[in-house]
This record gives sequence, structure tokens and C-alpha cells, in this order.
Amino acid sequence: MGDAGAALVAVRRAGGRTHPHRLETGRFLRPRVMHRPDGPLRVALASVRASLCAGDDLRLRVDVGPGAELDLVDPNGTVAYNARGGSAAWSAHVTLGAGARMTWREPSFVVGGGADVLRSVEVDLAAGAELLWREALVLGRSGERGGALRSLTRVELAGAELHVEDLDLRSAADRERPGVLGPARVLAQVALYGRVPPGPPDPARLDLAGPGALWRSVTDRSHRADAVLDPVWRAWGGR
Amino acid sequence: MTDDTGALGALLLADARLPTGGHAHSATLEGATAAGLTADRVGEYVRARLATTARTEAAAAVLALRAAGAAPAGAPIDYGPVQAAVAARTPSRPLREASAGLGRGLARLARRIAPDAPAVAALDTAAAATPGLRPLRPVVLGALGAVLGLTEGQTARAVLYDDAQTVTAAALKLHPGDPLTAVRWVLDAAPDIEESVRRATAVRGPRDLPAGSAPLIDAWAGAHAHATRRLFVA
Repeated sequence: MGDAGAALVAVRRAGGRTHPHRLETGRFLRPRVMHRPDGPLRVALASVRASLCAGDDLRLRVDVGPGAELDLVDPNGTVAYNARGGSAAWSAHVTLGAGARMTWREPSFVVGGGADVLRSVEVDLAAGAELLWREALVLGRSGERGGALRSLTRVELAGAELHVEDLDLRSAADRERPGVLGPARVLAQVALYGRVPPGPPDPARLDLAGPGALWRSVTDRSHRADAVLDPVWRAWGGR
Repeated sequence: MTDDTGALGALLLADARLPTGGHAHSATLEGATAAGLTADRVGEYVRARLATTARTEAAAAVLALRAAGAAPAGAPIDYGPVQAAVAARTPSRPLREASAGLGRGLARLARRIAPDAPAVAALDTAAAATPGLRPLRPVVLGALGAVLGLTEGQTARAVLYDDAQTVTAAALKLHPGDPLTAVRWVLDAAPDIEESVRRATAVRGPRDLPAGSAPLIDAWAGAHAHATRRLFVA
């Protein structure tokens, strides 16, 4: 992919199974295969160094070939530290080929006090591909109000926009307004793109115009979001 | 249509007496109120909307206005790209349906005042881009803006002003108080409205459509859709 500094996870399907095709360590993340007796290929992202500080630019590329299946886990999550006037960037670009399936679990993305982070997630799904993704944006470590975060999400299915969002939480005053986050510090969600998940409508479930849905939890404590989202993750096919 | 309707059209589109069904909507203030929003925070709620969902709608109306005007004579007008872009930026089904409901009332008006205008006839291209979803409010507003000869700024401001006034009018029913205070909320939001007018008219194309997110508005709209006792549709 010719993207210096980016961590790369590329997997392909061959002989009825999914195999690692290219796993490349980036400046921040080292992908490694987790061996387990059964189930789809699982790759974990280990931290190369503490992230994110001022000037850091973490990039992750994931490429799941046609028909392949990948579970991507990020056991440590991300913490953005006080940037003391600087800023950091974190971006992921995920590409799924036709009929590919991927689950991606990010435990938490914590934006500490004084941090200033631009987060960007871009997903390109070919026809019949499906991504189950779980993220948890957390403003501040415990007792902090948290720093500045702008989180961009763009998901396309077969070249058409499926979900586009610009969550601008840079100004504490703006994000604490009623309707945005109010007093909440945690915005966590399970998202399924490429397939309509089973289950009845629910006030917390957001059914997209195209095939896909989000289940959100806007709350003040991560464990409260987990209590809501753990069953959703499993019901929607998470492992 | 007669010429020289732009300035009057801008007033018409911003007038709550326009018989297009807007009075049945609260811009999710009813859901917000059920979740605990108090009267002293309504002004802040107006401002939150102006920077997020209302900005998306204003920019979409500008794109629809451009789509209606940019097509050379005889060439088909296609609202599909802007309709699809709004849908992809509206994850809440109740909010998409509310927008389509408002779009329906506006489309009825457009078909009455300018049945033969290409900008109106082309409204079917919007629904074709999003199966199961009628033309959304900002798309139809853009078409009406084209028919009435509005500028991009007038169109965007009409969308934003209408959003703010929908909240304040609903607030008078949900949080009975001094109607003069509600006027203050709107005037206080003038810088927010003008900032969003600037952003909306600067939009380059559907891919560039602002996508500012307000997660609690989506959550409140979802809860409101499931509520059994409601004053407003959405």
C-alpha cells in the first residue's frame, strides 16, 4: 500500500481458509496472529509504543480479500495524552472485498485532558461484504473533562455512501450542549455495515437507510456502555 | 410562475403558516423534553441543531437548488445524489421519516404552484435513489427555492430559520412560558445561523455535504418514536 509508517493487515482466502497475506508493523501498531483452535483468523494489534502524543500520526490499513474472514482485536485500546498545544491524528482505512466479513473491536479510545485528536475511519465494502465494528470514544480519563476530539466516519458500500458522520467534539462548550453529548463522556456503539441485523426496533437502535444499523450508548461510564453493548455485539454476530 | 418571486419566496418558505405540515413537528424537542431538557436550555438546543443536523439540511437544500438550476435546458435534473447523501448522514429512521413527511407536504405545495417546472417534475429522481424513502425535506426545499427564484443564501437561511422556529414554537407548547423569550432564543442564534449559511453555501458537492452529528438528538428521536403519548410527530 506504500504507506510509510502505517500498520498493515492484509488477509486473503485460499484453500477454503483465510490466511495472513501481509502483516506489517507500523510506527505504533504491530499486528500479530492469535492462534486458536477454530473460528476465523484472528489478528491482534499490539502497541509498539505509547500513543498518542503531540505530532503523532497513527495509521492502520486493513485489507480483507474477497470471501475472507477476519477478527481484528485491539486489546489495549488507544489513549491520547495531553498535547500541550499540539495535535495528533489517528486513522484507519478498512477495505473488504466481495463477500468478505470482518469483526473489529476497539475497547476504548480515550482522549485525555489537553489532547487534540483527529480520528478518521474509512471503510470500503464491496458488494456482499460485512463489517461488525465496536468502538468506544471516551472523553477524559477518570476525573477529567477530556480533550478535543473530532471523529470522522465514512462507510461506503459498493461505491455508495452508507454512513457518513462528522462528530465534532473539539469544543467542550459545544459538545456539552443538549443534543450533542450533554453531560455524557462516553459515546460507544456497535455498528453493522452491509447487513441488517436481526432483532426488533429499539430506541437505541439506529437503522441506516442502506443495509446496516448502529446501536449506541451515550453515557458517563464505560462499564455502563459495555452492559448495553455486550449483548448487541453477540446478537449481531460478534465473537 | 411569475418572475421576481425570490424575496417573497424566502419569506413564504420561512413562514410557519405555510400549509405543509410543519406545525406537527417539534424538531425532536418533545423527545428532548421527555429526556429532561428544561426550558432554560432550549436556546442551547437550538444552537446545537444549527451546527449539526440543520447545517446538513441547509447545505443539502443548496445542493438541490444547484441541481435544479445547473442542468442545461432539456437535460434531466437528478436529485438522487443529494437525497442519498442526506440519507447516509441521517442514521435515525424516525428522523428520515420525519424529513420525508415534511418533504411530502412541501412537494404538494410545489406541484400546486409550479406543476410543469422541471425542478418539480424531477422530484421523483430523489426517491429513486433511496428505495422506500420519499424526497427528503431539504431536497424539496431546494426544488421550491429553484421554482421561486431564491438565492443559495436565502435557501440555506430559510432552512436554518425554520429549524430554529420549529423548536421555539414547540417549546411554547412543551414548556409554556413567555413567547417573547422565544424570539430572544432565535435572535441570540443569529451568529450560528449565519455561520451555517456560510458553510452551507460553500458546499462543493454531495460527498462534501456536512455530516455534523448530534448523537443525543438521534437517541431522543428514537425514544420519541417509541413513546405512546405524543404531542408532535417528531
